[in-house]
Amino acid sequence: MIELYRIWKQYQKPHWALSDVTLKIDPGDFCFITGPSGSGKTTLLKIIYREIFPTQGQIIIDKRNILRISDHKIYRLRREMGIVFQDFRLMFHKKVFDNVGVVLQVLGVPRKEIRRRVFNALRMVNLHHKMWEYPSYLSYGEQQRVAIARAVVNRPKIILADEPTGNLDPELAFEIMSLFKEINRQGATIIICTHDRELIRHFGQKIVFLYKGKLLRKETL
Amino acid sequence: MLAVFFLQKDISEPQQKAIEEELNKSPLVSKSRYVDSQMALERFKEKFTELQGIVKNLDTNPFPPSFEVTFKEKALSYDNVLSFIQKVKAMPGIEDVQFNQDWVDRMQSFSRLAKAVGFFLGGILILASFFIISNIIKINVYSRKNEIEILRLVGATNIFIKIPFLIEGVVLGIIGGMFSLLLLLFLIQIFPIYLGSSLGVLNELINFRYLSFSQSINIIMLGGLIGFLGSMSSLSRFLKT
Repeated sequence: MIELYRIWKQYQKPHWALSDVTLKIDPGDFCFITGPSGSGKTTLLKIIYREIFPTQGQIIIDKRNILRISDHKIYRLRREMGIVFQDFRLMFHKKVFDNVGVVLQVLGVPRKEIRRRVFNALRMVNLHHKMWEYPSYLSYGEQQRVAIARAVVNRPKIILADEPTGNLDPELAFEIMSLFKEINRQGATIIICTHDRELIRHFGQKIVFLYKGKLLRKETL
Repeated sequence: MLAVFFLQKDISEPQQKAIEEELNKSPLVSKSRYVDSQMALERFKEKFTELQGIVKNLDTNPFPPSFEVTFKEKALSYDNVLSFIQKVKAMPGIEDVQFNQDWVDRMQSFSRLAKAVGFFLGGILILASFFIISNIIKINVYSRKNEIEILRLVGATNIFIKIPFLIEGVVLGIIGGMFSLLLLLFLIQIFPIYLGSSLGVLNELINFRYLSFSQSINIIMLGGLIGFLGSMSSLSRFLKT
């Protein structure tokens, strides 16, 4: 499903953010990417959803070389993915409802249906009572959950999550992981960057260790 | 506009008929009137009473018969009128023609100059509004960069992202067009009041006329078009990837 071939990425000479990473993620995988900070986890995710291009290497997703997709068609790839960004990337002048609903809005889903699905997604992260508030009035943990709701609201085939539980207390983190697990059970491929060992130990199936941009080892439990 | 065709004194009946016919059938002529020598003499006596003595001493009537022709004001193309006058003048039996050509020429070149200045200023203003609108949209794109980025990442198409900005540009352009029409209406109302006394005779001749309905609609649509193009130009520069 997602295949990375010899990916190299350099932001600034002489450091390599990623060096020679080859990785294959099968459909339905529940994969953790872990490693100390600065090891290239976020860069790897950004390359997968093509926010940035690798310096070298190829990425195949669903038999498509995503580096060859033109800019005006890249939306098709992004519509198949739900992404939880490390910095959440919420629209702070819009309400929680609109932040989550925007994913469906760009697909042209009718307003009534958007309301129903957004409510359900927010209920899954236990935030449905704050649907009509602005993100700036929410705590970090709540903002993170809005970002998670946005990533899952469209039931995408692939979910990419960058430190999705970084600001949550352990119980909530477990709940969110269970939610991802549930979505995974329904067929979605999930890739999560985290350094929370407890979570990995509990939920991990496939674990990828990065260190200074290199793929250290892969483990399948 | 008025022209007087003086006829030869010994003009024959058929010649005069031919001229009269020519005048009457032209679409440019609103009315033509035959003034014979006797009538011209009477008129002269009436207008210049102190010169009556001179006329009395004459043995013959010195005034030639003439056609006084008034041209239609509407749909009046000066060149057409001029060529018509030349054509009639060349007919047999015509002695001379008199019309205020100098004055008309001057008015015409003045109006040509006014038109050229108008087009020049209009062009500059169109360019200016294009750049102003494109800059407004550019600022908007910048201030909403974060949101645009998010829309991109959740799979919005380019057109989905662009449409609100395009609508904004078009609305700005249309509002600008309507505002300029209002301003023009206001100026036309007050301009003659301010200039009336100094313009004198000119005021009678220059007709301060408001734009027709279709012209107004065209201006508003032009405003919308400028807004559309202005926002397109800044969007295509800033939303490339």
